[in-house]
Amino acid sequence: MAPLANYLVLAAILFALGVWGVLRNRNALIIFMCIELMLNAVNLTFMGFSAYLNDYSGQVFVFLIMAVAAAEVAVGLAIIVSIFRHKENVNVDEINVMKW
Amino acid sequence: MNLLVFYILAILAAGSAIMVVTMKNIFHSALFLVLTFFSVAGIYVLLNAEFLAAVQVLIYVGAITILMIFAIMLTHQLFSRSLRQVNEQVIPASLITFIFFVLSVVALAKTAWPVSGGQLPEDRIFEIGKLLMSEYVIPFEVVSVVLLVALVGAIIIGRREKSGDTK
Amino acid sequence: MDYSLLIPEVVLFVWALVLLLYNASAKTENPRAIGLFALIGLVAAFVILWFVPDGSLFGKTFISDTYARGFKMIFLLAAIVTVIGSVDFASKHMKHTGEFYSLIMLCVTGMMFLASAGELISLYVALELSTISLYILAAFLKKDLKSTEAGLKYLILGAASSGILLYGLSLLYGLTGSTVLDEIGYRLFLNEGTTIAAVFAIVMFVAGFGFKLAAAPFHMWAPDVYEGAPTPVTAFLSVASKAAGLVAFVRLFFNSLLAIKPEWVVIVEIVAILAMVVGNVVALLQKNIKRMLAYSSIAQVGYVLVALSAGIDLSVTSMMIFLLAYLFANIGAFIVVIAFSNATGSDNIEDYSGLWKRKPSLAIVMTIYMLSLVGIPLTGGFIAKYFLFGAAVKEGLYTLVVIAILTSVISLFYYMNVVRIMMFRPAPSADKIALPWMIKLGLAISVIMVLLIGIWPGPFYAWGQLASTIFHF
Repeated sequence: MAPLANYLVLAAILFALGVWGVLRNRNALIIFMCIELMLNAVNLTFMGFSAYLNDYSGQVFVFLIMAVAAAEVAVGLAIIVSIFRHKENVNVDEINVMKW
Repeated sequence: MNLLVFYILAILAAGSAIMVVTMKNIFHSALFLVLTFFSVAGIYVLLNAEFLAAVQVLIYVGAITILMIFAIMLTHQLFSRSLRQVNEQVIPASLITFIFFVLSVVALAKTAWPVSGGQLPEDRIFEIGKLLMSEYVIPFEVVSVVLLVALVGAIIIGRREKSGDTK
Repeated sequence: MDYSLLIPEVVLFVWALVLLLYNASAKTENPRAIGLFALIGLVAAFVILWFVPDGSLFGKTFISDTYARGFKMIFLLAAIVTVIGSVDFASKHMKHTGEFYSLIMLCVTGMMFLASAGELISLYVALELSTISLYILAAFLKKDLKSTEAGLKYLILGAASSGILLYGLSLLYGLTGSTVLDEIGYRLFLNEGTTIAAVFAIVMFVAGFGFKLAAAPFHMWAPDVYEGAPTPVTAFLSVASKAAGLVAFVRLFFNSLLAIKPEWVVIVEIVAILAMVVGNVVALLQKNIKRMLAYSSIAQVGYVLVALSAGIDLSVTSMMIFLLAYLFANIGAFIVVIAFSNATGSDNIEDYSGLWKRKPSLAIVMTIYMLSLVGIPLTGGFIAKYFLFGAAVKEGLYTLVVIAILTSVISLFYYMNVVRIMMFRPAPSADKIALPWMIKLGLAISVIMVLLIGIWPGPFYAWGQLASTIFHF
């Protein structure tokens, strides 16, 4: 296996990219994708630690995070579709994380 | 050999993640997201976590991105125009992210993690299943309630109501 | 193992399922009957809770102690008062009331599991159950664009903050190799000196919980969501989601991270100051009463963080008393908002002018809630603030207390502005406002409790102190 630091740094890169995307994009769907990137980074960190600690609870955590992420996305996309019925784009400027 | 595969997957994951964030066309972003998820699944295999790799592919690629692509197709005129995807705060956002990234790498690199570096034993799926059914049975059950809530919520909010209703 | 510890949660969950199934099969909707049914379930869970003993299940994944049960009472009371006050709103503005009430009950179930979580995985999953229900509830009026947008904003920022929180949790797991809170605390205590990764994880926790608590500078979602969400949901959200954030925050920080207290005190203090200043100053400028109450809630969370940065047992005690007093005052104020907007269709503070002429009792109870939120003696808010600031003084945090008192003085202006408009402005129309009996009941319960805590704080102090005994300072 590659050294633990490799996994952690890759996770940090993915997490930072996710944060960047959440802060800079104005399209709700892309923000969702970036949140998924953040969660993937978290999962990767957990998996790295789990493998190097010889401990399974990290893997259980990752499994449950994935299930919750799917639930969150389902609700989020339903809301986006509902908003789209009101107005014809999802590029609402209010979806601008730092402006509010 | 293992290390080489890791680096290929890592570059693939990070590179496509950059594309997800910066692409003009949202559909392309979604496709690059699939690539990121696949690379991360590959890294799970390198960590000897085949079960989680399979779950990653099933949930992230099979469910989440497909849902997103559905939402894109429902809400966007595909390929017709490339919209301005960036909000007004690109520069402060990039600055904050950069500082955050440097801090996180410093924090991760400077810490001596109390890890052993051994291999997880065989029978990994069995162990995870045992944990889910014993120690972690309550979160496991609560997750099923989370899924129920999401199901109810997605139906209620996403459903088209009869026209003429004012409520 | 004593599975009877789980009875209140199971009762609530089964009740919500029955409500869902009944509603799916019923031909017509009767919001009043559904509301009453939900109310019975919540009250039943509340009654059962009194008989639940101490204990823990599956290692430490589920803990039943005085602290957890104290918070469960707060969650259930918040839901009970909200449901009482919302029946009228639901029958007027909502479709799918059965789903609405079962989502509230499932949300409370999640919060109750959160209060009992003694381990990171159940903590995260329970937190998500409660917040995902709240996203849906915020977006519940889908014919109303404001409500749907509120749901989307809440969801995006909530999901991002969960991601930040999780990143912190993953680092904590890597540092200690355990997900059990007690075990983490023990191993952090054994580690000589704190690592930079621990500090980084703490920053992530403060940011993640800061979003959940709507503490400045992580408050930007709160005003829009409070304004856009259906008013009963706002009432519930303003109290229960804060209590849910606090229950996990305190369990994590006072149980696991107490060994490295010097590292986090400063960060919590900064957030407390920002929350008090931003909340109180921006609230002065608000025209919409729901937005005003949103900023006031940001400020109120700042006062709690003042006490928590003291990090002593009185912090926990005072937080419990504060949450109880805040629960009744704030939800009561929102019930007034519901009653007023049902009658007039407006949420603007200006339109409250002459309420004294149109419905004296409504104006009087609103004045009592506002006095309690300011913290005037004889109301629950005074007792709460007294103990909150007392905890900080005991630890010598004089600067924080001075800022807290100064910003409280600022808060006097905007709370009293509402009272001034209600009492002394001429009424735009002479129409009387009629109050349905459910709303009267909700208002009466909250006024009685606000005054009771203010006049006879003894039993409430004892209850709060009992909750603080589980932490070892």
